[in-house]
Amino acid sequence: MIVCVAVVGHQNNPLYIQSFTKGDDSLLRISILNVEGCSYHSLKRHHIVHCSLDVVDERVNNPKKSGLIINETFLGLLNPTENYKVYGYLTNTKVKFILVTTDLEVRDVDARVFFGRFHTAYVDAVSNPFHIPGKKITSRKFAERVSTIVKSFGLSSGG
Amino acid sequence: MVREVSESCVESLLSEIVLSYCSGFYANKPELAARRIEAIGFQVGHQLSERYTMDRPRFTDNLEAIKFICKDFWSELFKKQIDNLKTNHRGTFVLQDNRFRWLAHMSIDPLVQASGNIQDPSAMAENKSAQATGMHLYFPCGIIRGTLSNLGIECAVSADISNLPACELITLITYNSFSYI
Repeated sequence: MIVCVAVVGHQNNPLYIQSFTKGDDSLLRISILNVEGCSYHSLKRHHIVHCSLDVVDERVNNPKKSGLIINETFLGLLNPTENYKVYGYLTNTKVKFILVTTDLEVRDVDARVFFGRFHTAYVDAVSNPFHIPGKKITSRKFAERVSTIVKSFGLSSGG
Repeated sequence: MVREVSESCVESLLSEIVLSYCSGFYANKPELAARRIEAIGFQVGHQLSERYTMDRPRFTDNLEAIKFICKDFWSELFKKQIDNLKTNHRGTFVLQDNRFRWLAHMSIDPLVQASGNIQDPSAMAENKSAQATGMHLYFPCGIIRGTLSNLGIECAVSADISNLPACELITLITYNSFSYI
């Protein structure tokens, strides 16, 4: 169950954060625009995303210690804290995608596929000539595509 | 599904951009026109770099990023690679394209090419045609600058068109700014 996805720019500025509360079949979307509008759960997720940024930095700057190939875009499981698992992905343009999920058994492949689709949606959103680089992504189409990708997470790929 | 763009439309658009800015918005202020055209190229390069670096592993240093521009990026834009890459290993790269697509249809002033003895009138003519052609190069310079800046590399790009239709794009990386994050 995906709880939150986030896009963070290269100066660690948030470009897009979307939370998905637990629901039966419907995913309720809470968009975060200012602190006053946030609920406790949203802030908690912000906090988790923020902490995982440090892990991303550490992973990328110390390749030998973490045993990771320096070229990989998919950073893998960042930190399994409490009930959450956090996955990271770093693009060539220093934009980070963070995925927070409560699933206990998430396959590596699923996470990779998710980030692949998410990256495609992100590139399409950023190619919008009215989008200002460095500012938050306000495209509704992007939000819809992300919702679709989140819904199909873990359900596809037979076997 | 691959979407295609009409090449003649792209070239018309570029000529029109240069024309509008040079003769319209910033007539008599070629420096300002050049800045605006370069800024447009910067944004385009910024967004293109997102798209074309999507499926690639991350770059490890400046040279890799420049090689990406010479090979993949140039192939996506112009269906060919950069013909020659030179560097002084101190942050300056010279990208040479022997037949720059966007300049391929521009006429070269034959008087300038043939004359060995440069007198005042032909010098002025050379200046004008070179200046006019030069304006068309701010856009590709901006594209390269935008691409590199999105990859984390600050640089300045200038163009040299002493041998049309060959074009040299000189990239000076301002400081060793490549970082992983």
